[in-house]
Amino acid sequence: MPPSHAVDIAPTRHSLLMRGARLGLPIFLVYMPVGMAFGLAATAAGFTFAQATACSALALAGAGQFIGVAALAGSGNLAAALIATGVVNLRYLLFSATLAPHLKGVPRWQQLLLAHTLTDETFAVNIADARVGRADRFSMTGVGLISWFGWTLGTAIGAAAGSAIGDPSKWGVDFAMPAMFIALLVGQITRRREFVAGALAAVLALVLSAWLPGQWPVVAGAIAAATVMTVTPR
Amino acid sequence: MSPTLAWGLVLGMAITNTVIRLVPIAAISRLELPEIAHRWLSYIPVSVMAAIVATQVLRPGGNWMLRPDNPYLLASVPTAIVYHFTRSFFGAIVAGILSFLALRYLLG
Repeated sequence: MPPSHAVDIAPTRHSLLMRGARLGLPIFLVYMPVGMAFGLAATAAGFTFAQATACSALALAGAGQFIGVAALAGSGNLAAALIATGVVNLRYLLFSATLAPHLKGVPRWQQLLLAHTLTDETFAVNIADARVGRADRFSMTGVGLISWFGWTLGTAIGAAAGSAIGDPSKWGVDFAMPAMFIALLVGQITRRREFVAGALAAVLALVLSAWLPGQWPVVAGAIAAATVMTVTPR
Repeated sequence: MSPTLAWGLVLGMAITNTVIRLVPIAAISRLELPEIAHRWLSYIPVSVMAAIVATQVLRPGGNWMLRPDNPYLLASVPTAIVYHFTRSFFGAIVAGILSFLALRYLLG
């Protein structure tokens, strides 16, 4: 491409950011209601509006947040809750490593921002965009920011509605978290071995709940099932 | 929920989640994960989700509910079906909550 032409059509940072925001719009639309469900679930578990909203703004951990709040509400054990959410989010090590080659030479502050807004959905969108050679640090930032905004705004709305509703259990909020996890689980099962891993983890967690308190059965069951699936032949 | 515990979770989760996501990016993935680690990590999300669903549905509130009229167990069926066919989190959660409410009302 001749340099003069490249200068003519060189996109501005702003246009790249907006392009990313458009790419991330479907994520925004999904995160708003799920964020609301988290806001409701967190306030149902005893979180204040500020705590629920800060949790989403600072962690942006999706399922990890549901698990952390459920674990803390169930056990009152902060370490167990943090380990439970950490284990759920171990896959981000892999996403982050996969994204890293696309982020060479990106300033530290922007790497931090992109790491902070790294979720299953932003990862999927950015990697697909990078494969066709279009993703850059500004479009990825646009994807991340609009997703972060949807999640945080949804949580704030859900948490505000939660305090207005009063006793949320009469609205069926008890089932909001199980429903979310059931949907996530169905979305995870794409191969037979994933089904086997899930069934194994479920049985192990239920059996271990006879001895282990709080969310430890979930953590131990998942680690054991993943290990068994890894060492057994395909 | 004590404010100390809740804020402890908020800040602890913020730190752990950002560290988990930043460290590989910051290290520019100079360390190539061995294939076995990729494989192990690939089973973690489905295992965690399944273990959570099993305990939340069969032990709601931490107590066994192994009964055919367990509304958590029954409501999980329409939830899974709606998500499977629509791929909509919102639709699945709405369907789940509505069927949970209906079942709880019908089953007393």
